Amino acid sequence: MATGARIAMNTAIAPMTTDVLTLSQLLSPSFPVGAFAYSHGLETAINDGLIEDADSLQDWLLALLEQGSLRADAVLLNAAYGSADPLIDASARAFASSSERLMETDLQGAAFCETVLAVWGHDLGRLCYPVAVGGIAAKLDLDVELATAMYLQATLGNLIAAAMRLVPLGQVDGQKVQAALKPFCTEIAAQLRDATLDDLHNAAWMSDIVAMQHETQYSRIFRS
Amino acid sequence: MTAHFPIAPKQKLQRAHGVLNISAQQDVGGVSRLKNLRQQGSYRAIFPRTISGNVEAVIINTAGGVTGGDNFSTTAVAHENAGLSLTTQAAERIYRAPDKTAGLMKTSLSVQKDAQMYWLPQETILFDGSRLKRRLDVDLHANAKFLMVEPLVFGREASGETLRSGALNDRVCIAIDAQPIYLDRIKLDGDIASQLGRTAIANGARAMANIVMVDPNAKPLLDQVRALLPACAGASLLGDTTLVVRILAADSFVLRTAIVPILTLLTNNAVPKNWRL
Repeated sequence: MATGARIAMNTAIAPMTTDVLTLSQLLSPSFPVGAFAYSHGLETAINDGLIEDADSLQDWLLALLEQGSLRADAVLLNAAYGSADPLIDASARAFASSSERLMETDLQGAAFCETVLAVWGHDLGRLCYPVAVGGIAAKLDLDVELATAMYLQATLGNLIAAAMRLVPLGQVDGQKVQAALKPFCTEIAAQLRDATLDDLHNAAWMSDIVAMQHETQYSRIFRS
Repeated sequence: MTAHFPIAPKQKLQRAHGVLNISAQQDVGGVSRLKNLRQQGSYRAIFPRTISGNVEAVIINTAGGVTGGDNFSTTAVAHENAGLSLTTQAAERIYRAPDKTAGLMKTSLSVQKDAQMYWLPQETILFDGSRLKRRLDVDLHANAKFLMVEPLVFGREASGETLRSGALNDRVCIAIDAQPIYLDRIKLDGDIASQLGRTAIANGARAMANIVMVDPNAKPLLDQVRALLPACAGASLLGDTTLVVRILAADSFVLRTAIVPILTLLTNNAVPKNWRL
């Protein structure tokens, strides 16, 4: 009995382990999408004093996860996982709140699609970043909830790394913020399983405004 | 000894409804004229004389506001070459919903070839306990021009009205030949005032507006619009023809003060009179 149970458990875990490895490759900072070049408006928020330490950074990112662009990305990822309807990518573009936001999702998505085609042989076309991630997760039959949680974690990791270059925030503080936001990544991924375009919304207007203002910021090191 | 009282019949709440259909076309002399007008229920439209050459419609809600279960619908069409400008006579007040039913406001706009439309309603004010579901669908021809503003005011704190509970489900979709080019969706529930206090959301602001212009000449206007913006606002260009502006303000008056100069620029000085400060 015990042996049988162990075998059953192992076969249940094995595909999930493979999923984790595939997703950690797709969403790794070394996957060539150029994520390090984008601050998502954080550069302006920090310049304006809206974010000045680990706490204010964590608050800002949590708002994006719960009510802003990161949640919207998770919705798009799930919608694209469930359907290959071109309306999903068109909606992702129409939902981009400014030209740099559009550039961010368009260029990262295009680079992601090119690499996926070269490595896995799946032609996704040219899709916005979360739509492309949802698309390949479906094609490779990866668990969508896991893909969403890991996408959110990776995107947060990139934004925290950007913030660490701009505010006096140590490596350890950055990791504390990342760890504190982890439960929200899993919670939101569970909530948004099977989400459709109808679940797309955003209220992070201040975040959108600083992303717009970044376009004319005098001195900047990030592309957004 | 159990007394059997008849259960009081649930009181049916008075619901308001309004339907407005407006269309404008160009006459043989090249002047925009009203083509069709249908007004039903609590919606009326008046047409002040203007010098802009557009048909200007001012929408009046004779019910004096919107509450739960109300249903308002507006449809407007600018036919080929016509100019149609729509506004509201007053700010739209969204009152406490007596039950959990939302009030519904649905607007469908269509702008045909070489036509132009302005959708410039005054503020929508959400009172504590209000529930609103709103849809704005705009269908544009590839050679049409469109300008819109949607100012939202969350409570009226000067009158002690804080938005501690309520629900807003709002969607704006602008499409060219059925392809979405601009999509904005807001879903707020519960203690909205607290949520607006979050830095990345509204940083404590109680009023917000988005302005969208779709026009082949939008690009050169971007710098001029930016020069008019208050501190807490941004403008950007999506593609080469869609100009977007987002403004956050402490209250309705500050928001209006920011909006009027931008609309004055973008309408080439044809802002409806009731918008004036």
